[in-house]
Amino acid sequence: MKGLKLEHLLLEPLQQRSVTTEPEMNHAQLWAQSLSLAAGLQARGIQRLAVHLEDAGLLAIALLGAWRAGVSVLLPADLQPQTRQRWDDAVDAWLVEAADLDALYQAPLSAAALDLDTCQLSLCTSGSSGEPKRIDKTLRQLANEVQALEALWGADLKDACIIGSVATQHIYGLLFRVLWPLCAGRAFVRKQLAFPEDLQRASREHPQFAWVASPALLKRMGDNLDWPALSQVSRVFSSGGALPIEAAGSLYDRLQQWPTEILGSSETGGIAWRQGAQPWQPFADVALSQDADGALRIASPYLPEGHIEQTADAARIHCDGRFELLGRLDRIVKLEEKRISLPMLEQALMAHTWVAETRLGVVQENRASLGALVVLSADGLHALRNQGRRTVTQTLRQHLSQHCEALALPRRWRLLRQLPLNAQGKLPQADVAALLLAPRPKAPDVLEHVEANGEWTVQLSIPPDLAYFSGHFPVTPVLPGVVQVEWAFNLGQQLLDLPATFAGMEVLKFQQLVRPGDQVELHLRFDQERGKLYFAYRNGVAACSSGRIQLVNAHA
Amino acid sequence: MSDQHRLEHDIKALIIEALGLEDISVDDIGSEQTLFGEGLGLDSVDALELGLAIQKKYGIKIDADAKDTRNHFTNVASLAAFVTARQVA
Repeated sequence: MKGLKLEHLLLEPLQQRSVTTEPEMNHAQLWAQSLSLAAGLQARGIQRLAVHLEDAGLLAIALLGAWRAGVSVLLPADLQPQTRQRWDDAVDAWLVEAADLDALYQAPLSAAALDLDTCQLSLCTSGSSGEPKRIDKTLRQLANEVQALEALWGADLKDACIIGSVATQHIYGLLFRVLWPLCAGRAFVRKQLAFPEDLQRASREHPQFAWVASPALLKRMGDNLDWPALSQVSRVFSSGGALPIEAAGSLYDRLQQWPTEILGSSETGGIAWRQGAQPWQPFADVALSQDADGALRIASPYLPEGHIEQTADAARIHCDGRFELLGRLDRIVKLEEKRISLPMLEQALMAHTWVAETRLGVVQENRASLGALVVLSADGLHALRNQGRRTVTQTLRQHLSQHCEALALPRRWRLLRQLPLNAQGKLPQADVAALLLAPRPKAPDVLEHVEANGEWTVQLSIPPDLAYFSGHFPVTPVLPGVVQVEWAFNLGQQLLDLPATFAGMEVLKFQQLVRPGDQVELHLRFDQERGKLYFAYRNGVAACSSGRIQLVNAHA
Repeated sequence: MSDQHRLEHDIKALIIEALGLEDISVDDIGSEQTLFGEGLGLDSVDALELGLAIQKKYGIKIDADAKDTRNHFTNVASLAAFVTARQVA
């Protein structure tokens, strides 16, 4: 039997047992290096270790070595300066490249079983407040999960080489790409292969292979791939976010098998799995319940003993125990498998002096991305008027980039005069999404209009995000004269009984620029006898523009 | 405009269109400017999207068995050279 328990991986060296490809490492080498690393960690008195290694083989050595030495391991999500700063006080050392391990190797500690309850691993994810959240797990929780996976799919996978497109810093990649194959005796590819072409090249090198992939990759695999060859894949795992059913169906057409989707989280580990448009099947020993709002509550051997994890996922549980997901109950969204807290980004955006109010939402187009509705402050409006829209949006993106990954930076911006709150004082997420999808406005906001002695006075607010501003001009947006004439014509048609056809203009005067956010007064009077619409825009006491529009009846 | 300039111009327009970039015009993208990471600031999902869009628009296939195919995606000039080479092939 090739299966080893996670706690028994360092008991004895197994020369014949393969661990990684390119460069190859067998179990005896893994065993020796892990015990050498353990000795080095112990000699230096290191008790808490942060590990971020792109090479899954080195990661295996680091984890086993640390656990053998009784060292707790933290897997930070990335190596950004803020991340390193955040965890610096919580750890004694960082392992981020091969040289860091090389510096620690010493004459090895003796072989021994790992203690399931004292060995610790901590994962990092974004919590609902947006603050990175640390999740501590014991080796027992991880061992339970690895055992369940092997019981479910071990027979299918046989000797398949495990090829992954996801990072091993997160629970899914860590379990599926490293810990599970280690215990099952399957070889795995060291590098994360994020592109379909690389996945294909690695696959061709093995008679049997399985993929540990994500929706980001699986929904973007093109016709340039050798699908007949790839259809030899033993199993395609997908996790980290929802795989659209179209993408699953397209993989079925090409591979003659449904991808296996795993539902889980850093907190809970695996919850359930499914293939195609089936309800989710909970893993054995995972017990589900629901709170009053219908959100899933989870008890499982992959959680600390006795702990019930409350999720924000609404669900409908069928009588056979399988379930459907009905959406999130909070404002956490997932973009390409990354968990993003909208309130956290909104707070960060509000901290910029140019922003008075903001709401974020998801824009579903080719790829889902974030969009921002922004009400600019007086400073912000000043920047827009004097530096242009691009400077404003780029500056705000730059500001946000200190708080989130590039992926979460809003790609679409809508600058509003105010947030269109509903009668309850709320702006439902669906409305945010609709506003982000709508094209930029081409008409003014009409605040009020009154008539006296045949002359209309119309109070207009110039939308800060008017479509005409982008090209006219990029760094100093002004309202084009031709648009002012068009608005006068259109508003005249709405308010007065006018001949329908535009026949020319006279005595046009443009005296002062009209700019984003201005409030102006438009005066309209129709001279019936001459067939002329008189218009004048004023900003306070200053005349902006004026002129006469000649009108005729359509069939005159 | 030479053929190469026209192609580079078209690829820039394709990048803006396919990736839904706002407030960026063709003139804002340098042919030698790095597209991913620093530079234009595109991410790995953009790289996947752009790979599909280029193949579709120019009716070419990225040779999945060649090494380092992603090097063609360094900047607009290298993409243009790649498209030209594949169209001839």
